Amino acid sequence: MARTLGRPEVGALVAAIAIFCFFYAIAPPFRTLPAIATVLYSSSTIGIVAVGVALLMIGGEFDLSAGVSVISAALAAAMITFQFSLNMWVGVIVSLVVALAIGFINGYLVMRTGIPSFLITLSTFFVLQGLNLGVTKLVTGTVATPNVSQLDGFGSAHAIFASDVNLGFATVKVTVLWWLLFVVVGTWLLLRTRTGNWITASGGNQASARAVGVPVPKVKIGLFMGVAFLAWFLGMHLLFNFNTVQSGLGVGNEFIYIIASVVGGALLTGGYGSAVGSALGAVIFGMTTQGIVYAGWDPNWFKTFLGVMLLMAVLVNLYVKNYAAGRK
Amino acid sequence: MRSTGRSLGSLVAVAAAAVTLAACSSQGGAQGGGGASGKSYTIAMVTHEAPGDTFWDKIRNGAEQAAKDHGITLKYSNDPDAGNQATLVQNAVSSKVDGIATTLPTPAAIGPAAQKAVQAGIPVVAFNAGKDAYKQYGAGMYFGSDEDLAGQTVGTKIVQQSPGGKTVCVIQEQGQVQLEGRCAGVKKTDPSSEVLYVNGRDLPSVQQTIGAKLQQDRSITDVVTLGADIALAAQKAVADSGSQAKIATFDLNADVAQQIQNGGINFSVDQQPYVQGYMAVTALWLNLTNGNDIGGGGPVLTGPSIVDQSNIGPIVAYTKNNTR
Amino acid sequence: MTDTIAEHAAADLKKGASLVEMEGVGKAYGAIRALEGVNLRVNAGEVTCVLGDNGAGKSTLIKIISGLHPHSEGSLTVDGREVHFSSPREALDSGIATVYQDLAVVGLMEVWRNFFLGSEMRKGRYPMAPLDIKGMREIADRELQKMGIHVKDINQPIGTLSGGQRQCVAIARAVYFGARVLILDEPTAALGVKQSGVVLKYTAAARDAGLGVVFITHNPHHAYLVGDHFIILKLGRRVLDKKRSEVTLEELTAEMAGGQELAELSHELKR
Repeated sequence: MARTLGRPEVGALVAAIAIFCFFYAIAPPFRTLPAIATVLYSSSTIGIVAVGVALLMIGGEFDLSAGVSVISAALAAAMITFQFSLNMWVGVIVSLVVALAIGFINGYLVMRTGIPSFLITLSTFFVLQGLNLGVTKLVTGTVATPNVSQLDGFGSAHAIFASDVNLGFATVKVTVLWWLLFVVVGTWLLLRTRTGNWITASGGNQASARAVGVPVPKVKIGLFMGVAFLAWFLGMHLLFNFNTVQSGLGVGNEFIYIIASVVGGALLTGGYGSAVGSALGAVIFGMTTQGIVYAGWDPNWFKTFLGVMLLMAVLVNLYVKNYAAGRK
Repeated sequence: MRSTGRSLGSLVAVAAAAVTLAACSSQGGAQGGGGASGKSYTIAMVTHEAPGDTFWDKIRNGAEQAAKDHGITLKYSNDPDAGNQATLVQNAVSSKVDGIATTLPTPAAIGPAAQKAVQAGIPVVAFNAGKDAYKQYGAGMYFGSDEDLAGQTVGTKIVQQSPGGKTVCVIQEQGQVQLEGRCAGVKKTDPSSEVLYVNGRDLPSVQQTIGAKLQQDRSITDVVTLGADIALAAQKAVADSGSQAKIATFDLNADVAQQIQNGGINFSVDQQPYVQGYMAVTALWLNLTNGNDIGGGGPVLTGPSIVDQSNIGPIVAYTKNNTR
Repeated sequence: MTDTIAEHAAADLKKGASLVEMEGVGKAYGAIRALEGVNLRVNAGEVTCVLGDNGAGKSTLIKIISGLHPHSEGSLTVDGREVHFSSPREALDSGIATVYQDLAVVGLMEVWRNFFLGSEMRKGRYPMAPLDIKGMREIADRELQKMGIHVKDINQPIGTLSGGQRQCVAIARAVYFGARVLILDEPTAALGVKQSGVVLKYTAAARDAGLGVVFITHNPHHAYLVGDHFIILKLGRRVLDKKRSEVTLEELTAEMAGGQELAELSHELKR
C-alpha cells in the first residue's frame, strides 16, 4: 500500500478523478460518450509528446523545441512530397529522419557543451521557428504548405495517423490508441528495462551514474531523439488531419507538455516521474480545457478557470505525496 | 499567372478610379504623372503580423507587387508586440524612408511613432487596423475593413438564412481587439451569438474545443470563425460531432475557397488583404509622385466582400495564387 | 563480515601484489597544472591513504584512476599493463571501482536498482530485454544481509538510508561486481563519528579480503586507523610519502595542518 501510494503518478490520479467527478456533476454534456471521446482526443494530442518529454525530464533535461518541431516535421513531410511529387510515405519517412536529426543535435549539443538543455533547446526552438517560416516561404511561396490530400499514399497515411476508429461503443481518434500504446511502451521502458534504469539514474545523479558505467550521453541523446520521434508523430497527425500546415503554429505547446509531465509527478530537477503520470497530466489538461466548454461557463474567464484547475491539480498532487510520505 | 495579371489589372483600374474619384484638381492620368519623376522611392511597411500566418502573407504579396509595379524598394518589418512595432516605425523614420505604411492595432502605442514620422515630413498611410484613430496621429489615408461592419454583415446574413438559430463566434486569440470587434459586430445583428475562445496556435485543440461546444449545445446552427485555417478545423469539428451547423468565416484561402465551392463552408467575408497591402504602397507612391490623397479624407474600405457559392467560381483560382 | 567480503572478492588477489602503479603522473587543464609528478602504488590487501587539503589535487587523482579524465603525463599501470582510461567503463572493466563521497548513489532510486546500476541483470541479451527484477531484488537483499548491511526494505529509495549505509551499499556493490581496486573518495567526510566507524570497519574488511584500497580523505585520524601507506598532496605535488611504520599520527596531523609553514607561523605569532 505504501509503495503504491509512493508512485509518482498517484497524486495526479486522484486529481484527475476529482476533476472528472466535478465536471461529471456540473456539466450534463460531459457525461456522454462522444464528449469523453473528444476529451480523450484532446488529451492524446498533448499526451503523445508528453510521454517523451516526461522521460526526458526524468533523465534530467528539458526540450523547449518540442512544440515547434511538431510543425517542422509536418512541414518537411508536406513540402518534400509535394515539391517532388512523391508518394506521401516518402515524405513521412524523410520527415522522420529530419525529426530524429533535430533530436540528435539537441542531445549532442547538450552533452558535448555541458550547457543546460534549457538554453540549447531554446536556441533550437528559435532556429526551427525561423526555419519553418523561411524555408516554407522559400519553397512554396506562401507561409503554409500546399494541400497534400490528393497525393498518392495520403489515404493510408491518413488511416494510420488521423483516422477515426470505431470501438463499438464509441468512435475515437486513432491518436488516442497510439497515445495509450506510447504510454505503455514508455512505462515498460522506464520500469522494466536497463535503459529505464539508466534514464532515472542519469537524471537523478549524473556523476554517480557515469561512475558506475552508465553511458549517460547515449542515454540522453536517445531521450532527445525519443521526444523528436513523438513530435514527428504528432506532426504527421496534424498534417493528415488538416491536409495542410501553417508554418507559424506549435509555439507554446512545449510548455503544455512540460506542465502535463510535472502535474503527472515528474520532478523539474530530474530523476523522478512516470510515463503514466504524463498521461494523467494530459488528461487533466484535456478535461479542464474541454470541461469548461461543456460546462458552458463564461468564456471570458476561460484562462482563469484553467489556471485554477491546474493549480488545484498540483496541490492535490502535493497533498497526496506528502500523505504517502508520512505513512512510511 | 494570367489570372494574377488580370486581377492586378482590375486593381490598377480600381486605384485609378479611386484617384479619379478623389481627384482634386488633377487632370487624371495619375499613373503617367507619377512615373515622370523617375525617382526610385523607399517605402517601409510595418505590421503587427505574428510570423507564419497566411493572411499576412497576402498583405505582403500585395505590397510587394505594388512595389514591383512602381519600382519601389519595399522594406517590410513586423512584430506582434505593440511596443516593438512602434520601435520598428521609429527605425523607419531614422533610416529616412520616403513613406511609411503601418498598421495601428493599438493606436495609443504605435500612433505617436507614426506622428513623429509625419512631423519629420514622411507621409504615413495606415492600413488593416486603426480605422478610428489614424487621423488623430496624422496618417493621411486608411485602407482596411471595418471589423464591426464586417461582423454585422455576417450576422445579418446568418439571421436571414437561419432565423431563430443559434450562433457561436470562435475567437482564436483572446483579448485581440480586432477579433473581439468582429464577434461584437456579429452580436449586433445576430443577438443569439455567443463567443468561444480557442487556442489558434494549436489546431487540434481548436477542433476539439469547437467539437466540445457543439456537443454541449446541440441547438447551435451556425459557427463563425475569424480565420481561414480555423474555419477548416471547425468544419472537422462539425463533422466529428454530428452537428448540422453551417460555417461562415472571415478570410479566404485555397482550401476554404474550395470548400465554399463544394458547399462545405457556407460563406466567407473577405477583407481583401492583398488590396490592403497593394493600395497602402500604391497610395504612398501616388502621394509622393503626384500629391494624391485617396479616400477623400475618409477611410477606404477594402471589405467586407462576401464570397459564397454564387461568386466563388473565378475566386478559387485567385486563392491559389495567394492573392485572395 | 570479513569472510563474506572475501567470498566475493576476486580469487586471484595475492596480498602485497601490485595492482595499480602511477609513475610521475601529472594533469594539466589548459595552463593550470592540477597535479604533477605523483607516484603511487596500490597493493592488494593494503590501504593507500591520500591526504590533502581542498585543491591539493586529490580529486584530479581520483578522476585519473577512475577514468573520468585521462592523465596528460607520466604512466599509469594496472596489473603490469600500461593504460590510458578514456571512460569510467574502461576503468571498471580493469577492476577499478570508485565510490564517491556524496555521489555514490542515486538517492531517488530503490536500493536494489542502485545496487545493480550499470550492471543490470536481464532476461535476454537483445537491446530491450526486460530486467530480471525478482532476481536482482533477491541478490541485492541477500548480499547486503551477508555483508552486514541491514536495510528495512530493499525497495525503499536509497536516499532514505543513513549516509554511512549508503557508502556501505556502494562499497558492497563494488566488491560484489568484482572490484580489485577500490577508490574511496572522502567516504567519511559528511558522516558523524558512529557512521564513520561503520565505513572504516567496512574499509578494513575490504582490505582484509585482499582488495587494494585507495582511501582519500583530509582527516588524518581516519586515515591512520586503516592506512598502510600515506601520501600527502599539496597544490598538486607530493609532500609526504611514507609507510605506516615510518610515520606517526602526530606527524601526519602536523603535516596536514600545514607542517613547516605552520611551525613558522606559530613562531611569528609567539608572544
